[in-house]
Amino acid sequence: MPASSFRFTGIGTTWQIDTGDELPEVVTARVRGRVEEFDRAYSRFRSDSLVASLAAEPGSVDFPPDAVDLFDLYDKLDEISGGAVTPLVGRSLEHLGYDSQYSLTAGQGRIVPNRWTEAVSRSGSRITTTSPTVIDVGAAGKGYLVDLVAEVLVEAGITEFVIDASGDLLTSGEPLRVGLEHPFDPSKAIGVVTIENESLCASGSNRRVWGSGLHHILDGRTGAPTSDIIATWAIAANGLLADGLATALFFVQPERLAEHFEFDWVRMRSSGIAERSRTLRGEVFS
Amino acid sequence: MITRHQKTAVTALAGLSLLGVVTGCSTGADASDAASTPAASSKSTSDAAPSTSAPAGSSEYKDGEYKAEGEYTSPGGKETVGVSLTLAGDKVTAVTVTPESTNPNGKKYQGEFADGIAAEVVGKSLNELKVSKVAGSSLTSGGFNDAVDKIKADAGV
Repeated sequence: MPASSFRFTGIGTTWQIDTGDELPEVVTARVRGRVEEFDRAYSRFRSDSLVASLAAEPGSVDFPPDAVDLFDLYDKLDEISGGAVTPLVGRSLEHLGYDSQYSLTAGQGRIVPNRWTEAVSRSGSRITTTSPTVIDVGAAGKGYLVDLVAEVLVEAGITEFVIDASGDLLTSGEPLRVGLEHPFDPSKAIGVVTIENESLCASGSNRRVWGSGLHHILDGRTGAPTSDIIATWAIAANGLLADGLATALFFVQPERLAEHFEFDWVRMRSSGIAERSRTLRGEVFS
Repeated sequence: MITRHQKTAVTALAGLSLLGVVTGCSTGADASDAASTPAASSKSTSDAAPSTSAPAGSSEYKDGEYKAEGEYTSPGGKETVGVSLTLAGDKVTAVTVTPESTNPNGKKYQGEFADGIAAEVVGKSLNELKVSKVAGSSLTSGGFNDAVDKIKADAGV
């Protein structure tokens, strides 16, 4: 059991870092700083972010060096999913009411995003657009930030820790038993898995709901919220991959994703059927 | 159903160099002869699909379930899979491929022919489960939750 927990708020959600010894203040300050740096670059919800500047007017923006891995994964997921997973769902989300003002008022119809690789050109961490573009890194960004926070800890010489960013977990050291929260009943779990020196990211469509059929997981091919799959979990070597794959599992057959990535998975359908990978270290209750 | 399984069997077996049949859970008296034939080597791929290579009119294989360990070489090294075939009337009626990878890169390649497992979910109370963490989407963005609360309050919900 962890001896010490450091809790804080970052990118609009609650974080907890469990360690054997209490984190020194210099480390917690660095962690907060790293989260703030990420938010300043990628947040769709603050007017001074790099993402906000591209939403306001087209042009070239130099993202931090960490953008390369993030957008590399998006490129790959966009290709595999035929455009279902794309950072360009940003405008569609705004249109449905999930905007920086949290208006939560849906406009008429849907906005179908342009294809990521066609509408945006990228060279390393530099993004160039020719029209105002809303980039939303919600599909993989939080998991990636968990990795970046882990880097801060490792650089400080901390090797055993659990980072919990409200459903996106990364563990280093001891194996960790994790319950898979029931999408319809947070007091229950649909299964239990063990993770060890890896990341588990959960994604669900039934919590962030602001109207009938309105939630934050959109299919980039249609601009409409998904309905068949209601919750996913992905376990992979790092948070970036686990989070991105948890999103991709809403749109892509797991077997297809397994051709490209090393991961385990669980996903639940609106019918109450759950599927899991055969190599999953854990069980799904049935 | 059978067609799909046959296809799976061909795909799975063609890519494998089976190490000979380990167990034959056959209902027949002696499964060893029958079992050794479908165990194709990487050289004789024509024998790889027992359901299609069996001559019409005569039964080549005894009905039953056959199990084997298969080995193949992935870019990450040698991998092992368990293969279970059910034969009935010289037809493959069921195939199960179970990855037994120890190679960290193995799951990726095995995933190509190992489907997931599906079942209706039964929730268990978290109080009964000894878990250190819970992963779900219940804890969401603070700003979002505030906005929803406000809308509910405005609407008098």
